[in-house]
Amino acid sequence: MPKAMGAVKQAIPAEIGGDVDAAVAGGGTAAKAAAGRKVLPIVEGVVLVAALLAPLVLQDYLTVFATRVIILALFALSFDLVWGYAGIMSFGQALFFGSAGYGVALLARDLDITNIFLVLPAGTLIGLTFALLLGGFLLLGRHPSSVIFVSLGTLTGSYAADRLARGWYYLGGQNGIPSIAPMTLGGYEFSEGPAFYYLVLGILIAVYLLCRFLVRSQFGLALAGLRENEQRIAFFGYKAQHLKAIIFAIGGAIAGLAGSLYAFHEGFVWPNMVGVVVSTQVVLYVLFGGSGTLIGAVIGTVIVEGVSFWLSDNYRDIWPIILGLLLLLVILFRPLGLISFVLGERERVGSFGARVKENVKEKRNAP
Amino acid sequence: MANAFVAAFEILSFGAIIVLIVLGLGIIASMMGIFNFAQGEFVLLGAYITYLAYAKGLPIWAGMVAAPFVVGALGFVLEALIIRRFYAAPIVAMLGTYALGLIIRESVRGLIGGFYLTVPEPIGGSIDIGAMHISAWRFTIIVITLLVMGGCYLLLSRTSFGLRVRATLENPSLARASGISTPLIYGATFAFGAALAGLAGALIVPVFSLFADLGLRFLIQGFVAVMVGGVGSFIGPVAGAGVIGTLSAALPWVMAPVVADVLVFVLAIVFIKFRPQGLIAGKGV
Repeated sequence: MPKAMGAVKQAIPAEIGGDVDAAVAGGGTAAKAAAGRKVLPIVEGVVLVAALLAPLVLQDYLTVFATRVIILALFALSFDLVWGYAGIMSFGQALFFGSAGYGVALLARDLDITNIFLVLPAGTLIGLTFALLLGGFLLLGRHPSSVIFVSLGTLTGSYAADRLARGWYYLGGQNGIPSIAPMTLGGYEFSEGPAFYYLVLGILIAVYLLCRFLVRSQFGLALAGLRENEQRIAFFGYKAQHLKAIIFAIGGAIAGLAGSLYAFHEGFVWPNMVGVVVSTQVVLYVLFGGSGTLIGAVIGTVIVEGVSFWLSDNYRDIWPIILGLLLLLVILFRPLGLISFVLGERERVGSFGARVKENVKEKRNAP
Repeated sequence: MANAFVAAFEILSFGAIIVLIVLGLGIIASMMGIFNFAQGEFVLLGAYITYLAYAKGLPIWAGMVAAPFVVGALGFVLEALIIRRFYAAPIVAMLGTYALGLIIRESVRGLIGGFYLTVPEPIGGSIDIGAMHISAWRFTIIVITLLVMGGCYLLLSRTSFGLRVRATLENPSLARASGISTPLIYGATFAFGAALAGLAGALIVPVFSLFADLGLRFLIQGFVAVMVGGVGSFIGPVAGAGVIGTLSAALPWVMAPVVADVLVFVLAIVFIKFRPQGLIAGKGV
């Protein structure tokens, strides 16, 4: 294992330099990727097909559960962007998730606004605004903030929001806001079931593709560099803090979108949704699945939620203990998550260098 | 007058509790550079051991004496097995200790169920000063906190063990070259921090009663206190804990508790943003 890690560490700079194959061939799992086969699109395809077919084979109550998982996967995606790509440990991602949930719940309760084209943008905007405020405060400034400060700052923000939601009568206090009216599209009401499932799946796919484009762009390359060596990226002339604040805000917006969907799907919001419990839950998903790959976040969510749903009948008490043990094992021995069993390091970082190389080959063959 | 005195006592006693909890957290954060998310669960374990002793019919103080030793030993083992791997990466250390904390917390939850279990105060009753009554046990906590604080200070500043700990903090490679076994020092420091958390848990369980999320309640307050005080010294986190504890207990007397609760955190984060080195900058004791 340590040997493989060593090879992987070397592979990253070499890859950005463009010389890929020789450097990666040494790593254990990475060797598979170097053979020329792309694993990532296969994994993504399998997950997509499974997700599309799921409601056809699942019973009704399982479809409802699957819808919840898809929404949480969307939420996990937001955390993965922030931590897996930019290296910002946001222990308070639920702040954006939950505040958007509370926001749309208030819209539905007090203003009777449930139109899907109003509530979802509103939720996204709430998440974006809170993320801009908190991220701007924590990340920007004359002196770069330490990683510890940012992670504890987001954690504290989430905790404070939890306490506020618990104590504020207008937000329903401990009980939260129950029985939110269903989301509507014209005269149609989205209630739990296949329609809602395909709605959130469509949103997840759209956001996923958007994120995929984002992390494969120049911006994503700069982010990956930020995660690996922030100082070097700053010396290249990038404004590292601005990049971080931007990705933090995007993450917040996605979390807000997920939060508003969650509020309407569950039909109620409660203080835990903004608090530390959900914030750490999303960290679990992404670490399990594999941070730094978008599909890893989705797979992690499905596995954690699926297994906990499956086990909760018989082993409700010991499941959290097993979860903790597994998490510890993953952190110690598989820091790149379960996805690293099938996915090489080269594919994880992305194929910026490979594309250039193909172009070069074409040019050579042209005359 | 009497009211003001009672208020002052409440504030002082809560401040003392926060200081007691932060002591161990601060020592581990300052001397080892690790923000230990499992610290809240060490507090919980201390409380649980005290409860066990009480439930088995032993005197409560016996549980309270045993708690720091048991939790400290556990801390030593955990450091050697797991925490040791995290020194290079502070964020991974947070996640790893969080996982550890999750395991401990859920195990205790499994053992006690979802209940709030009460443990009586070993020193009951109240101290009467004229017409005013103050809880004898809370007063005892203040006294013990002061003693432990003084003891820790002397241990770190006056003994050869303290010198080694500080040497390891300042310059690990030079410390190793001077013949100090840094892994042993790290182990001992972590165990010491854990033991302090165990003691804190044992002492506060009569006040807050035992429930699985007991530690979590104080963890974030503790982190904020350490950051406000300043990481790197012994005095820093203690000063931060004093400020945070006093503020969280005092503000609800002058404004709505909900607002006060949130305001403390907001003030603290703003303070840390503009003074990242904390109240007391610098390394050492």
